[in-house]
Amino acid sequence: MIEVNELTKRYGSVLAVNGLSFTVRPGLVTGFLGPNGAGKSTTLRMLLGLNTPTSGTATIDGKRFRDLGTGLRHVGALLDAGDVHSGRSAAAHLSALARSNGLPRRRVDEVLQEVGLADVARRRIGGFSLGMRQRLGIATALLGDPPVLLFDEPINGLDPEGVLWVRRLFRRLAAEGRTVFVSSHLMSEMENTADRLVVIGRGELIADEGVTEFAARGTNFSVSVRTPDTAVLAGLLATEGAEVTSDGYESLTVTGLTAARIGELAFHHRLMLHELATHTPSLEEAFMELTADSVEYLAGQPQ
Amino acid sequence: MSTTTMAAPTPARIRNLFAAEWTKLWSLRSTYWVLGVGTLLMIAASITDAIRTTSRWSELMEDLRARFDPMSVVLGAPSAALLMLGASSVGVLVVAGEYSSGLIRTTFTAVPDRRRVVLAKVGVVAGTMLLVGVVIATISFFASQAVLSSVTAGVSIGDPAVLRSLASDALLAPVAALVGMAIAALLRHTAASVITSCVVLVIVPSFFKITVYPWVDDIYNAFPLYVWRNCLSMLDPITRPYFPTVTGSWIVFAAWPLVGIVVTAVIVHRRDV
Ligand SMILES: Nc1ncnc2c1ncn2[C@@H]1O[C@H](COP(=O)(O)OP(=O)(O)O)[C@@H](O)[C@H]1O
Ligand SMILES: [Mg+2]
Repeated sequence: MIEVNELTKRYGSVLAVNGLSFTVRPGLVTGFLGPNGAGKSTTLRMLLGLNTPTSGTATIDGKRFRDLGTGLRHVGALLDAGDVHSGRSAAAHLSALARSNGLPRRRVDEVLQEVGLADVARRRIGGFSLGMRQRLGIATALLGDPPVLLFDEPINGLDPEGVLWVRRLFRRLAAEGRTVFVSSHLMSEMENTADRLVVIGRGELIADEGVTEFAARGTNFSVSVRTPDTAVLAGLLATEGAEVTSDGYESLTVTGLTAARIGELAFHHRLMLHELATHTPSLEEAFMELTADSVEYLAGQPQ
Repeated sequence: MSTTTMAAPTPARIRNLFAAEWTKLWSLRSTYWVLGVGTLLMIAASITDAIRTTSRWSELMEDLRARFDPMSVVLGAPSAALLMLGASSVGVLVVAGEYSSGLIRTTFTAVPDRRRVVLAKVGVVAGTMLLVGVVIATISFFASQAVLSSVTAGVSIGDPAVLRSLASDALLAPVAALVGMAIAALLRHTAASVITSCVVLVIVPSFFKITVYPWVDDIYNAFPLYVWRNCLSMLDPITRPYFPTVTGSWIVFAAWPLVGIVVTAVIVHRRDV
C-alpha cells in the first residue's frame, strides 16, 4: 500500500508537485498518468526518498522509504533505465545490488533469466540498447522479490513483443498480491494493463478511480450524421443549441444533442438520414480532455 | 510465496554494503589499469632514482653525500605529487561516477540509508588505496635500498624513522583518495572534481609559496603534501620554528581524510539525487 498525503515539491519557481494525495492498493495494477512534466517522476523520486518533499508525506506500508534498511526487499523500482554504470556487465551490476541487500547470488541468475538477458549477462551495459536497459531495470526491480513495485515509463524503448511481455508481467505481479504502480504519459499503454488510474496534471490530482469510471468521464461524446439536406438539418440543430461542424460532403458532426433527439428532429421535418451514429470517446480521448488544461508543453505553441 | 505484506524493516548490514562496494570497484576494468599501471610506475621511478644517484655518487661533493637521505629515493617529490593526483582521481571517480551516470539513484533505492553507503564506500576506497600505498612503499624501499647499497650504507626497515617515513609514503594515497571523494560529493562533476583535487592537494602546496610572512608557513603546514615533503618523509626532519613537526604532520594526515569523510557523508545524506 502506497500512501501519498498532501505531497508538494517546489524546484525554485517551478511547483512540480502540488498538494497531491492518493493511495495505491495491493493486488492491482495502478496506472500513474499525466502529460510530460506533470510531476510523475518527481512523485516517484519522493516516494523513494531520493528527493525530499517541500511538504507532505509519502509512505509505503506506513513507513517512510528512507527508514527502511534493505530497500530491494521492500520496494522494487525502475526509475530510469539509464541509472547504471555503462562500464559494468549486467551480472556485475546486479551482483553488487544483490550483495548490498544480502540477497543470494542465485537471484541474479533468476531475474536475468526472467527478463531474457541471461545470454548477455557478461556483456558491458554500455553496449545495450534502450530496450535491453529497460529489461535490466525491470530485473533490478524484481531482484529482492518485493511486495511493492514502481515503474516509471517502463514501456519506452521496448519492442512490441517486449510491451506484451511487460503487460503480462505487471498483471502477474498484481495477481500475486503485490502493489504495482506504473507511470506513463500515454493512456493507450494503460488501457489494457491497469485496473485503476491516478491521473495528474501540473502536479495536481485530476482523477483517482477505476479505468471504467475514468472512461465514462469523457463528456464530449459526439454524433455523426449523414444526410443529403445538410444545410437544412444544420440550421435546425443549431436552433436546438447543438454545436455542428461540417465534415465535408453530406456529413455533419454534432455535439450537445443525443442521437435520439437528432433522429426525432429529422423525422418531424421529413429529412432523410443515411447514417446516425454516436461516437463515444475512447479512454485516450477522456484522458486528453481531462488533461487539456494542464498540458505543459503543447506542440507548436510558444511557451 | 506470500508477498502481500511487507516484512519488518531489516537494517542493511555493513558487511554486505562493503561486499557490494568491493564488487562495484573491482567490476570496472579501469580499476585494474589505474591501480596496476600506477603501482608499477611508482616502483619504476624509485628504482630509476636510485640508479641515477648511484651513478653520480662519486661526482657528489662531500657534504651532499653526508646529507643524502636514503628515503628520498623511495618516493621522490614528483612521484608523491603524481601518487596523490592518481589516488584522488580514484576517489573522485568512485563518487562522481555514480552521480554522473545516475547509478546513485539505483544505489539509494537499494539501500536508503545513505550514510551507511558512504561509510562502505569510504572503507573500500581507503582500504584499497592503503594496500596500494603499502605495496608501493615496501617494494620501492627494498628495491631502491638494494641499488643504493653499492655506494652507501642503506638503512634498516627496523629503524623507527624509516618506518615513519614509509608509513607516510603509504598513507599519501588513502588521504588523497578520501579528499577526492569529498570534493566529488561537493561538485558532482568528474572533470571539475579532478581539477579541484589537483589544485588543492598538489598545486597549492607545491607552488606559490611566499616566505616573507611567517604566518604563511602556518597555512602551508596544514597541507598533507607539504608536511610530507618537509617533515614526515625525511629521515631527519628539520627542527626549526615554522617548520612542520612530526606530531603536527600526523594531525594533518588524520584531519584531512576525517573532514573529507564527514563532508561526504553530510552532503550525500542531505542533497536530492
Ligand atoms: N531536478 C529538477 N530541478 C528543477 N525542476 C525539475 C526537476 N525535476 C523536475 N523538474 C520540473 O518539475 C516538473 C515535473 O517534472 P517530472 O516529475 O519529471 O514530470 P513527468 O515525469 O510527469 O514528466 C517539470 O516542470 C520539470 O521541469
Ligand atoms: Mg517522467
